[in-house]
Amino acid sequence: MISRRDMLRTAGLTGLGLAVAACGRGFGGGGSEAASGKIELNMVWWGDAFRAQKTQAALDLFMKANPGITVKTEYQDSGPYKDKLATRFAAGNPPDLMMMRMDSLREYADRKSLLNLNDHPGIVETTNLSQAAVNLSKVGDAVYGIPSGLNAIGYIVNKTITDQYGVTIPDGATWTWQDLATFAKEVTDKSGKKVYGTLVDPATLANLVVYVSQQGEDLFTADGKFGVSEATLTKWFQMFEDMRKEGGFPPAGFVETIGSSPDQSYIAKGSIASQIIPSNGFLGYNKVSGGNLVLLGIPGEATAKRRGTNIGTPALWSIAASSKHPKEALQLLNFLINDVEANKAMGTTRGVPASTVVADAIKPTLEKDDQVATDYLIGLQKQTLVAVPPYPKGASGIQDELTAVAPEVEHGRLTPAEAAKKVIEAATKALSQ
Amino acid sequence: MKDPAVSEAPVSPPKAAKSPQDRSGYLFILPWFIGMAFTIIPFFASLYLAFTDYNLLNVPNWIGLENFAEMFSDDTWWQSVKVTFVYTFVSVPLSLAAALGVAMLLNRGVRGLPVYRAIFYLPSLLGGSVALVLLWRYIFGLNGIVNAFLGFFGIEKISWTSDPDYALTTLIILHIWTFGSPMVIFLAGLKQIPAMYYEAAAIDGANKWQQFRKITLPLLSPIIFFNLIQSLISSFQTFTQGFIFSGGKGGPANSTMFYNLYLYKQGFEQFHMGYASAMAWMLLIIIAAFTGLNFLLAKRWVHYDN
Repeated sequence: MISRRDMLRTAGLTGLGLAVAACGRGFGGGGSEAASGKIELNMVWWGDAFRAQKTQAALDLFMKANPGITVKTEYQDSGPYKDKLATRFAAGNPPDLMMMRMDSLREYADRKSLLNLNDHPGIVETTNLSQAAVNLSKVGDAVYGIPSGLNAIGYIVNKTITDQYGVTIPDGATWTWQDLATFAKEVTDKSGKKVYGTLVDPATLANLVVYVSQQGEDLFTADGKFGVSEATLTKWFQMFEDMRKEGGFPPAGFVETIGSSPDQSYIAKGSIASQIIPSNGFLGYNKVSGGNLVLLGIPGEATAKRRGTNIGTPALWSIAASSKHPKEALQLLNFLINDVEANKAMGTTRGVPASTVVADAIKPTLEKDDQVATDYLIGLQKQTLVAVPPYPKGASGIQDELTAVAPEVEHGRLTPAEAAKKVIEAATKALSQ
Repeated sequence: MKDPAVSEAPVSPPKAAKSPQDRSGYLFILPWFIGMAFTIIPFFASLYLAFTDYNLLNVPNWIGLENFAEMFSDDTWWQSVKVTFVYTFVSVPLSLAAALGVAMLLNRGVRGLPVYRAIFYLPSLLGGSVALVLLWRYIFGLNGIVNAFLGFFGIEKISWTSDPDYALTTLIILHIWTFGSPMVIFLAGLKQIPAMYYEAAAIDGANKWQQFRKITLPLLSPIIFFNLIQSLISSFQTFTQGFIFSGGKGGPANSTMFYNLYLYKQGFEQFHMGYASAMAWMLLIIIAAFTGLNFLLAKRWVHYDN
């Protein structure tokens, strides 16, 4: 796909890169390995053994097609991943290709640690990406990666439970938060508190951002400030406390954070009838919940001021600015994004492929539940959604404060209004640093 | 130390400083020097970073005492100090008391002493381990053994792990339970007290309590002091329990936000490595202050037998 003009531009950039970077780490650097004819790329990501197996299958295809390149991958759980990545950058030994969390993107990008893909045109093909997908990796005009897969949050309801207690599932396209509350209360009441109607974690930023957008506000403003009003945050906390009082929500102290995998969820245990999940988790949740889940939209989408649901990604594939083999890393990135066979091998473990062409091509090879999730996402991309600017530096401080105040509201130590005030104070401080 | 008789004997002539034996000697302690380098270099690097705004990705800038000033206006920092202090000052005395109590029971000549010693020691081997903290979570879970036991007495279920009022208590109980290593040291100390003191006291009509107050405690005081210092230092540095128990978040509501957990979060999650380094040095100062205070107070109650 490299045109002659692109080649020239690339060549020019190479010269420039070499001239500017005194250490010779510019584009096309790393001569010693090149001389031996073997280039080794280091690729890191987070996930489990299942994802590792699928990723390796795709990489085997890549190495077969590119005999001069070996890809060495490392993976771990998402928690330790973050620290290890930061440490590797600090040690001056960053991986060539890495999975980059959305909430860490600007921490790295603003400090010039990631490769701006716009500086290296012609290798990574992005014409088949939807606008929503491209927007995810943009910081200003720069592009610091490609979504490793797309997802959105959706609402799952266990139909086995609702059938058992004779509760009608509302229409997922038009329901409101009030409908959710009514539905949840009905489940709790009819099951005699054996099953609680719903469970939404008010401290999860991905949940809050949808509600905030529905109120016509932005989580982060374009200039990187916290855009949520105290009133909206108060309403957010209040809504769940009201559901708790009515019974649709489980009592305080019910939720224990033991793990975040589907089989550890309360919906899998049958003690909750509905909850929010990332859409790429639908297959996994359905497997552990008896196979009778229904995927609905988020409440309020049809009736609120504007749409809240948005296309997101679990992570971007980014390249380190100091990579010794940027050209090869870009090739690998392009392969992961645009190669149909590679994506068939990987499936949807990271969400629906960002390229709409690839997504369409692999859909028939997916399991039924993955097809449901893929349809949900393809459908969303065709609608008009409100874009969220990338998380500013310090955004993880906001998540920390939400995590801290939510249980205090739950246990009645803070009123929703007090909690809202605290979050805003912390957010303002975290973003100003 | 210069005894002419020895210096004239040709046992170690000055030449031997370069003998092959010496060289192999140096070779054998080389790993120690290398190991020290791994301690000393980060030690001074962290001291330097404490005065910078280092964010892991860019070159650190010197900002003087700003990091230290920042701590005093940081609510979460105060919270982490509070959590760590409460944890330390509640659990250390209780776990030492438990250790001493059990050591005294075991010292009464029970049969199969090694077995009991091993059983009581086991938890402290596992105390800081991931598996044990996870197991603890299940034991104290809403439907765990503890609530089932309390339910037996008609006490309502307590959410030990997700209620901010109880989470730290749960970890304190875990800490107290891991009293094994001070216990083993106490046991060794108790064995050193000659039985004749007790016999003499018994003949003089001292009861068990008086014997404990007048014989056991004073003679054991150096050991108590040693255990106290050890426990205090390790307790101030608690990390794993809080990290695993709360899934790395220090929750619920920062109630298990140990000092070192907050330090770690600042360094690796918020990219405030300079601030984290400053926190580390502050912890060093806090620990040094408490250890120093203990040495001062020790003069009043620790008796050395000479």
